[in-house]
Amino acid sequence: MIYPLIKGLATTLKHCVSKPITLQYPEEKRQVYPRFRGHPELQVDEDGRLKCVACTLCMTVCPSRAITKITPAEGPNHEKYPAEFVIDLTRCIFCGFCQEACPKGAIALNNKYELAQYDKRVLIYDLEKLRAKA
Amino acid sequence: MINLTIDGKALQVKKGKTILEAALENGIHIPHLCYHPAIKAIGSCRICVVEVKPGPPRPQPACTTPVAEGMEVITQSERLQDLRRELVKFILVNHPLDCPWCDKAGECLLQDLTHELGIDVVDYEAVKVPPHIDYESRLIERYATRCVTCGRCVRVCRDRVGASAINFENRGYFTELGCGHVPLECEFCGTCIDICPVGALINKLFKYTARSWELTKTKTVCPYCGGGCNYEVHTKNGRIHRVRSQGSLLLCGRGRFGFGVVEAPERLHQPLIKKDGQLVEAPWDEALDYAARGLKEVIDNAGPEALYGIGSPRATNEANYLFQKFIRAGLGHNNLDSPARYNFARALAGIAAVFGTAQVSGVALESVKKGVYQSPWEVQEEAKGSGFPFVLGNTQHLSHADVILVIGADVTPEMPTYGWRIMDALKNENFRLVVANPRKTKFDRYANLKLRYQPGSERLLLIGLMEAVLEAQPGYTPHLEAAGFEDFKKTLLKTSDNATAVADLFLLIGQTCNKGSALYPIAEKNNSRGVCDVGVMPNYLPGYQSLAEDGGAFAKLWGKPVSEKPGVTLGEMLDQLENNEPEAPRALYVLGGDLVRLLPNRARTERLLQKVRFMVVQDAFLTDTARLADVVLPVAIHAELEGTYTSTDGRLGCLQAALSPNGTRPDWQIITELSQRLGYPMKYGSATAIFAEMAQLMPIWAGIREGHRWPHKKISVSLQGKFVPFPTEISIPGEGKYTLIVGKTLAHSGSYTTHAHGSQTIMPGAALKINPADAQVLKVQEGEPVKISSNQGEITVPIAMTVELPRGVVFLADHFSDTPANLLTSNSNLCRVQLQKG
Repeated sequence: MIYPLIKGLATTLKHCVSKPITLQYPEEKRQVYPRFRGHPELQVDEDGRLKCVACTLCMTVCPSRAITKITPAEGPNHEKYPAEFVIDLTRCIFCGFCQEACPKGAIALNNKYELAQYDKRVLIYDLEKLRAKA
Repeated sequence: MINLTIDGKALQVKKGKTILEAALENGIHIPHLCYHPAIKAIGSCRICVVEVKPGPPRPQPACTTPVAEGMEVITQSERLQDLRRELVKFILVNHPLDCPWCDKAGECLLQDLTHELGIDVVDYEAVKVPPHIDYESRLIERYATRCVTCGRCVRVCRDRVGASAINFENRGYFTELGCGHVPLECEFCGTCIDICPVGALINKLFKYTARSWELTKTKTVCPYCGGGCNYEVHTKNGRIHRVRSQGSLLLCGRGRFGFGVVEAPERLHQPLIKKDGQLVEAPWDEALDYAARGLKEVIDNAGPEALYGIGSPRATNEANYLFQKFIRAGLGHNNLDSPARYNFARALAGIAAVFGTAQVSGVALESVKKGVYQSPWEVQEEAKGSGFPFVLGNTQHLSHADVILVIGADVTPEMPTYGWRIMDALKNENFRLVVANPRKTKFDRYANLKLRYQPGSERLLLIGLMEAVLEAQPGYTPHLEAAGFEDFKKTLLKTSDNATAVADLFLLIGQTCNKGSALYPIAEKNNSRGVCDVGVMPNYLPGYQSLAEDGGAFAKLWGKPVSEKPGVTLGEMLDQLENNEPEAPRALYVLGGDLVRLLPNRARTERLLQKVRFMVVQDAFLTDTARLADVVLPVAIHAELEGTYTSTDGRLGCLQAALSPNGTRPDWQIITELSQRLGYPMKYGSATAIFAEMAQLMPIWAGIREGHRWPHKKISVSLQGKFVPFPTEISIPGEGKYTLIVGKTLAHSGSYTTHAHGSQTIMPGAALKINPADAQVLKVQEGEPVKISSNQGEITVPIAMTVELPRGVVFLADHFSDTPANLLTSNSNLCRVQLQKG
């Protein structure tokens, strides 16, 4: 009769001294696996230039129409680059199709996953916000 | 018909077709690259190879092998796919992986072939060819690296356009597309861009602006010349990015690159009304009220006849029909005309003098409601027609002619569609081309006979030709039924204008039983023919019906009888103003057409229009005429419009709106609003409703529908003409050493395209074309200004030396507002001028 009680107490005591499973979010952030599909971001090359050539394949393939605007422009050396690039994160479903479709490896999903905001407009990402930080 | 099987499917096809044509017609896909239906097949890429039984043991190119009775064709087999795969791999060896930023991606034949044949790796290597990319040329970029040397552009440019501006350079693997390592200096029609199966030729206006799959395609009609080319406008986010003609892909430069006129910054989007001598913006209702008040005041004071109406060869048939209905039924008189009076209507009048007015019988009004833009008149078995419309040719038949005589026209700039048909006709080895022009024109290089005459002396040339015909065959009688032939023979040399003379010549030698034997007048504007067809003429009701014998149909539909008194023409109206006659109009309602810019003798027109008390102008731009107006109402144009145009050969083209009108309104809506305010309400829901009413009143349009021409081919024609004498005196007004010809160029259409970025890139401003020897006498160098002065005025223009012009003759284009050529002319496009180093 007393034995199960002691067993239960032992389990409780064991957990009292062991490392907790829960995290103190948002002070502590959960580490995700490298292949986790988070927010999309635009990749840059070694010189810090955007790899994107504004081919709009990502916009075409996006199933939730989260990539809302890509305005192509012509650079001084006749290269094509995006003058505007807008992703609406409130629409993004983090499927990674854009990354898969991109012929230049210019867009990839990072490990960020936080989406809670007081104002939705914060989640409309433009070229500056999308550019991957080195 | 020939029976054959393709992939086991039994087919019947016409003799002379190739296997590829037979397969494509019947929905069987054979991969191909160098073949295009618009040009002759040469079988160079060999991708369309098929196995043919009975036949040689090796595969045959489908695009050049004609079908034969009992032929069995296999289009898909392991062997054929292997062959095709290897061939495409050879092309891919040096093909750059530009797809992400190549504008052709998505509609590229090489992409499709690579995908279809499942090529993932190219296991060949070859020397890298240095990339020759031409970024310098205007409007067209050339990427030699992307070229697959199929030769489509070379063939279309040489055989269909007749420009021969590009060709292959080097040999074998190093073959590339070029024009002698210099920037392109061609007609800039851009057909090569669209016919290129890959992205080797790129449209600079389209470059990097949109991907092919993002575009919405809307079929409409080109708004420039009278050729009436149907094309698709490709839009994205409410902007036109390019235009493309499906099928033949042929368009001229102003059609392909001139679409920018729609979003020109100078366009009006708000009505303007005159306040204290200044035109200021006003809301629509206020402007319409103001216009109606002004017109009403004139009508109340001087009667409805004091309001003169000027239709527009740029506006749709529907707008012009409503316009004449408003004048005829609403105001009860026939005082209306259009600027086409100075060109196309003049030609029609000359032809009508010889071949009589339009008559048609044996057509019946169908009670069954037809589809949109279809005439409710049915052509019956016994349908008969006569008169001048039946002598006007079908553009498509022009290529069947045995001889084409071009008189005075510079064909390609004035009517590119005729130019393409002449190129087609040249494929016939028995065909003969005679080009008569004071200037050297493009078709001189193809002409079997070139006739150079003094400017203005067309009639003497025509008399000479007629004499030659009569002398060569004594006892010659015209093929057509002709009255007054004997008199005409006698008075030929002892004896009202060029058009009559041409019509007389045609009456003499025409053989209308043969395809393509017809007169082909040139309509300057997109709807020059339509504006005449729908009755914007002082002496004809819609469908060239006389004012007297309308049979009550008009009065019944319009609710008001039509006045039988013919109105005055545009020229007579201006004379009335000049002489301050009591009948001279007090108010003008101008549907479009920049009278000040386009009519000869600009200073006079400007002075006379200022005499008018109240003027309402509907136009897309603040033109020189609009500046004189009291109210300017901005209209929708081009891809913002719905309605129909009639091309120079009477073909009906239907417009569809691709863009929102952005503050402007279609012409017909403005006319109904004004008419409502002036006490004659006209209610229509759409342009199609107007078309239905208009077509009901025009039996001569029987059987017309989209893409078809009137008169209907089933109407049996009984043509007869009478020879009409014409004066032979030639006088070019003014004095001076040089004869100035004011004319058109290929880059522009009227003043319209001067608002389009693309057309301005091809030709940014006017230059006086002059023979180098004359320039030397004047001591001016290329590009230096000269002062041209005539009795009417003077302007200063830089010169461009060319041997196209004989000595003593100079040419100036009339498109540009900063160098208005009509400041110099007096009553036609010819005048004598003095030149001075400026």
